[in-house]
Amino acid sequence: MSKTTLQFMLLGFILVLAQVIVFNHICLFNVAVPMVFIYLIIRLPITLSLNWTLTIGFFLGLIVDIFSDTYGMNALSCTVLAMLRRPVLRLYVPREEDLTRPEPSMLSLGTAAFMKYLLTMTLIYCTLIFIIEAFTFFNPLQLVLRIVFSTILSLIVMLGIDSIMTPRSEKRL
Amino acid sequence: MSELLKFFVRYSSWFLFVVYVIAGCVLLFSGNPFQHHVYLTSANEVSSGLYRATNSVTSYFSLKEINEDLQRRNSDLELEIYRLNEVIRGYHQQAYADTMTVDSALSRYHFIIAHVINNSINRAHNYITIEKGRLDGIEPEMGVMDQNGIVGIVNVVGDHTARLISVLNPYLRLSCKVKGHDQVGSLVWDGQDPTEAILEELPKHSEFMPGDTIVTSGYSSVFPEGVPVGTVLSSTRDIEDNFYTLRVKLFTDFSTLSTVRVIRDNMRHELATVEKELEIKNIE
Repeated sequence: MSKTTLQFMLLGFILVLAQVIVFNHICLFNVAVPMVFIYLIIRLPITLSLNWTLTIGFFLGLIVDIFSDTYGMNALSCTVLAMLRRPVLRLYVPREEDLTRPEPSMLSLGTAAFMKYLLTMTLIYCTLIFIIEAFTFFNPLQLVLRIVFSTILSLIVMLGIDSIMTPRSEKRL
Repeated sequence: MSELLKFFVRYSSWFLFVVYVIAGCVLLFSGNPFQHHVYLTSANEVSSGLYRATNSVTSYFSLKEINEDLQRRNSDLELEIYRLNEVIRGYHQQAYADTMTVDSALSRYHFIIAHVINNSINRAHNYITIEKGRLDGIEPEMGVMDQNGIVGIVNVVGDHTARLISVLNPYLRLSCKVKGHDQVGSLVWDGQDPTEAILEELPKHSEFMPGDTIVTSGYSSVFPEGVPVGTVLSSTRDIEDNFYTLRVKLFTDFSTLSTVRVIRDNMRHELATVEKELEIKNIE
């Protein structure tokens, strides 16, 4: 097992713990819930085969589902998100050969492209999860508020995580 | 044959995607939360262990509020004791004490104290996990309350843990009434504010004022009659509709839930048997 695999397993473990212990209980202004565990799907190396990405996405979602009693909601959204990852990345980075490192990060994509990529992925995920949740009561205004503010909050938290994840020595480069 | 294999290998990720989406949908649309499997809910051993560990830290956070609630409840009960003492003294004075029998209804209900180890208030369907289970005498469809009012109904039970459907979950409908009146409505959460719920289908001849107390009706074996639920905030009634819809401010503060009582009804199995027999007779 390589060093990168171990690193990603550790990252996934920490993200799931953080999501179920801390972030699931945060609900700013009754609308904004930070969804941070999808950071793992966002950071998976682009060279990883799609089959693996889908499998990791599904089981990551399922684990969060088990902890938060959402029963399939996150598993479904994460699978769709994992499928859409490469097309979204292609929108902002037309040539994958340009990447300096296989993992999408601020360093390999550049700040602007990575921000756009992160924002699009978070928006897709929040839209999916809240629309699935809204099957029972449909309140359009509340749905839009939830999607928009949860996306913003998740984005801010994930940028924070990203700045911790990136080693300082690399930042100076 | 090799062409077929090539085809499968080439489109394997699409097949995998479809398989996962179907698996997700099957879980998502399996519907009734009473049929959820215990391993896929927060009542399983790993997640309840984690929540138990977290709770041992976070349970200190809201101790002050809980303490105040308990103090208030305590003072209410002390007042009640004084009042009852007065009544007893009255009976003694009338020398009726020796002819009175103990009311058997008093021993019908029994409380099991449990700690909440996981709770959510911000989802569309909220669930609560507690650290008592089958071995502590908990069974599905038992009512749960805390020091302030109703909390929810047990639905999935493990050996040492159980998951409740919170009042903040539209799957839960409770029969409730305005205290002091007999017209019954049905309490349901509308998914907006975790401090408020809706009392629907209250007949149009009911009498109530904003600020009146709502209590459970006791029309099922889940909750005894008169468990506090909340106070009336406002009411609406459509012209052609024959029912009132009340907005209810809940007594229970779901954001600081910590210790709850599970209500065990000793007559429940007897009631269920009787009702079943009646049903069979009706069919015949």
